[in-house]
Amino acid sequence: MTDDSWDGGDETEADLVPLYVLVNGRTAPRNTDLDLATQVIALPGAHVRLEPVYRQLVDLCADWISVAEIGAHLHRPLTLTKVMVDVLVEQGVLGLGAPAQDTGDDRDLLLAVLAGLERL
Amino acid sequence: MNGERRSAKVVVAGGFGTGKTTFVGAVSEIPPLTTEERLTAAGVGVDDLTGLDEKGTTTVALDFGRITVSPEVVLYLFGTPGQDRFWFVWDELAQGAIGAVVLADTRRLDSSFPAVDYFERRKVPFVVAVNRFFGECRYSADEIRAAMELPPEVPLTFCDARERESARDALVRLVRHALSTVVT
Repeated sequence: MTDDSWDGGDETEADLVPLYVLVNGRTAPRNTDLDLATQVIALPGAHVRLEPVYRQLVDLCADWISVAEIGAHLHRPLTLTKVMVDVLVEQGVLGLGAPAQDTGDDRDLLLAVLAGLERL
Repeated sequence: MNGERRSAKVVVAGGFGTGKTTFVGAVSEIPPLTTEERLTAAGVGVDDLTGLDEKGTTTVALDFGRITVSPEVVLYLFGTPGQDRFWFVWDELAQGAIGAVVLADTRRLDSSFPAVDYFERRKVPFVVAVNRFFGECRYSADEIRAAMELPPEVPLTFCDARERESARDALVRLVRHALSTVVT
């Protein structure tokens, strides 16, 4: 457990906890590669106790899903969603796909997208 | 885990009412989702605080869709916020994006000028897609190019943002254009 972890709490009062407390006051993800299109997935065997809002987030990640989709499903602002995902990745609960950041000049990726679109 | 699943982004931009959400919905494999970015006054810029409530925050809604292009790659389409002034959000959308489709409506071409200007300045590959949603276009491609002062290398195409294939074709045009700009 790092300083950024917590060990659960009173679940019935979870929604009364201000969100900035849930993310331990973080205002931005530490992993700056985390983009709104970055996809994450729940890792097997990550049996940490989670706050209900985090559990809800992890439940959405049974299959690959992007930060933006998680935010839309949980009705949470993107920045907050990003920070929550960041916390879970650090705890080893979620695994990260490749960020969209470096794809702009990636020829292989562009060719894959082109082929996929042409099949539509 | 890194690298097993890749994301790609395309930004769908254009002025208010040019059909961005319609375009995203036409090609997306899921009904378009809406996510929110909450901005504080600090993120908006000191010269333009209209629309901010008394607490100094404002909420910007982003519509987006998804196309699974291969087992490893998912393409996300993000519509820009309706209000052009939220450049803070545009920066996040444009970062790492393949490029942008700038939708234009010939009845108010000027509403798409800020988007063209934005992507030009940031050297983000983009195509202009004139939405024929409102009936046949009365102007030729050359006339529209001239009116928008488009550089010759920027592709201009016509589309019907309601039609899946038409929207798809505009995306294909964009990806081909982006490929042509990649230094090999």
